[in-house]
Amino acid sequence: MPSEPITLIKAIMHTLDQEMARNPNVIVLGEDVGRRGGVFLGTQGLLERYGPERVIDMPLAEGAIVGAAVGMASQGLRPVAEIQFADYVYPGFDQITTQMAKLRYRSGGQFSAPVTLRMPTGGGVGGGQHHSQSPEALFVHTAGLQTVMPSTPTDAVGLLRSAMRGADPVIFLEPKRLYRSVKEVVPAEFDFTVPIGKAMVRRIGADVTLISYGACMLEVARAADEMARAGVSAEVIDLRSLLPWDRDTVFESITKTGRAVIVAEAPGKASVASEIAASIAESCLDRLRAPPMRVTGFDTPYPYAQDKLYLPSVTRILNAAKYAIDY
Amino acid sequence: MATWQDDSFEAFSEQSISLIDASDRWCGAFDLDLDDSTLIGFYEDLLRMRLLDERLNTLLRTGKTSFLAPCSGHEAAQTGIGRAMRRHHDWLFPYYRDQGLAVLLSSADEVLAQFQASCSDRNKARQMPGHPGSDQAHIFTVASSIAAQIPPAVGAAMAKQIQRSDEVVVTTFGDGATSEGDWHTAMNLAAVRKAPIVFACENNGYAISVRLAAQTATATIAEKARAYGMPGYRVDGMDVLACHYVMKQVIERARRGEGPALVDMAVYRYGPHSSSDDDSVYREADEVAAWKKRDPIDRFYRFLAARELIDEGADKALRDRIKGELAAASERAGAAGTAPVEWLFDDVLAELPWHLVDQRELLLGEVGGS
Repeated sequence: MPSEPITLIKAIMHTLDQEMARNPNVIVLGEDVGRRGGVFLGTQGLLERYGPERVIDMPLAEGAIVGAAVGMASQGLRPVAEIQFADYVYPGFDQITTQMAKLRYRSGGQFSAPVTLRMPTGGGVGGGQHHSQSPEALFVHTAGLQTVMPSTPTDAVGLLRSAMRGADPVIFLEPKRLYRSVKEVVPAEFDFTVPIGKAMVRRIGADVTLISYGACMLEVARAADEMARAGVSAEVIDLRSLLPWDRDTVFESITKTGRAVIVAEAPGKASVASEIAASIAESCLDRLRAPPMRVTGFDTPYPYAQDKLYLPSVTRILNAAKYAIDY
Repeated sequence: MATWQDDSFEAFSEQSISLIDASDRWCGAFDLDLDDSTLIGFYEDLLRMRLLDERLNTLLRTGKTSFLAPCSGHEAAQTGIGRAMRRHHDWLFPYYRDQGLAVLLSSADEVLAQFQASCSDRNKARQMPGHPGSDQAHIFTVASSIAAQIPPAVGAAMAKQIQRSDEVVVTTFGDGATSEGDWHTAMNLAAVRKAPIVFACENNGYAISVRLAAQTATATIAEKARAYGMPGYRVDGMDVLACHYVMKQVIERARRGEGPALVDMAVYRYGPHSSSDDDSVYREADEVAAWKKRDPIDRFYRFLAARELIDEGADKALRDRIKGELAAASERAGAAGTAPVEWLFDDVLAELPWHLVDQRELLLGEVGGS
């Protein structure tokens, strides 16, 4: 790892590089991952270092990319497959739900498909309907998958390593709005990992818990700053793993604050935010001082010109927090 | 006559490839190079597949299994495929009508345990009958979804290239599967990567009720291979020797690193699509009867009888022995008991996350532990 601060996408690229150097079974495959180095440069330099047998420019077919990764994984390889945009995963969805997620269960544990499936996700980059979606709920709803979304370069390193070294398939969602927005020095230790299923308390507070993940962590941090200026102390939790999610950290915080605002840019109906809200309501009712609030993307297709109106804004987060505090 | 060569059969031939003629005699352009005991072994495999269907029908009637997609009429193709593979070495990525082939590559015990949702099923009774799988026998556990096994089969073949293994992957499917997107993307990928895989179509002319003419506008399945850049072969799927020799040619070609091939075997499904289907709605009894005249087992019996390798007495003894073996395997599967409650949750992931631990506790509280 470089000693200077690096972006989230560079953190991914360096982690792939390190893991490929460490384990000859790691294979990278996807569209444009070879000569182009990935359209976001997540696989830059890997073809030159590891050759076309381990860094595979695939035909343009997501079903073949996911399916081939499953087949490779069933034979002991450790494929990391890239879907160019999460919006393009749908032709591969049958292979995800029917094969990747179910192989271990269906075969009674004889076979498994430890594939890391990377995909840039989320909006805010002017991508319109088909370069902006946040489909995490579809994966979280599918038994047999683990779904994670880092919001910092350090977490990208740690979660990607956990995914690539773990026993089961991981949907690794990359908030593309954060690819180059933050730089930090990432841990150099080769065994640094972020365990799947563990959240991170980003800011300690007492009055309200803001729970989010991915790119919305930016707006959540700004909202917490504004609240602090107004004398309200917000605790901020970055879920990092969406399934399994960190119940203990969330419930502990709710016990302290009695208020929860869950923020995510995906449409709110039957979403990750809904699942967290329902779990809080089910398990923490006696500690709640207000209903759990959701601040999410609207239940519309992702717009183009009104992109900024669609995404959860600092104002909407503040309004929801105020509602909970005044309740 | 010539000896069998690696390239004895030409791709995209006008005529379907046969090695047993209308009078049940060898008609190959090369010498039959299988010894007598191997030929009898082929016959035994064919019979076992037919008798397996009979046993499974009995199990259905007695409530010991709940579903059957019969393989009768597919025996020559399945025997030809299985006998051309290196057992426990090459990999099969099968579909749901391959119980006969699965028995050939694994055992009657493994397959019947799966059909009977027995505690002895290696797949832990997780799927409906007819979905076997075995890591030991190199059989990728069947998924019902049509063509879903094919992209993973290509991935496995790509893994064999990367691992410098000489294992070859064979994937099987029906004619209906060739309409699925997964089939096309997988054929394309395999050819691009020159992957060691054979695509074996058990083409019975029906996808449940839909005839091949409504499935594809091409005259044959075999010719689709041309567009992907691999050889395609059209084979008499009721001729076990033709199926065997063509499969052997393309499997060994793939093993030498010369790339994938498509084999289109014309078979017929004697029974309904499954025990939930009524085939009289969509096909005439005459058609079934006409195909049965070309029955692969009867034909091969006459072929062997003409060579004085079998007679009625030996045939009956063989059938009785296989029936006894299948009954005993079924008996063992039943005696092993049923799936314990905990199996509902095991293997969702290698380690159960908290929400599944909670749900398992809830269920055990309701029904008690096993």
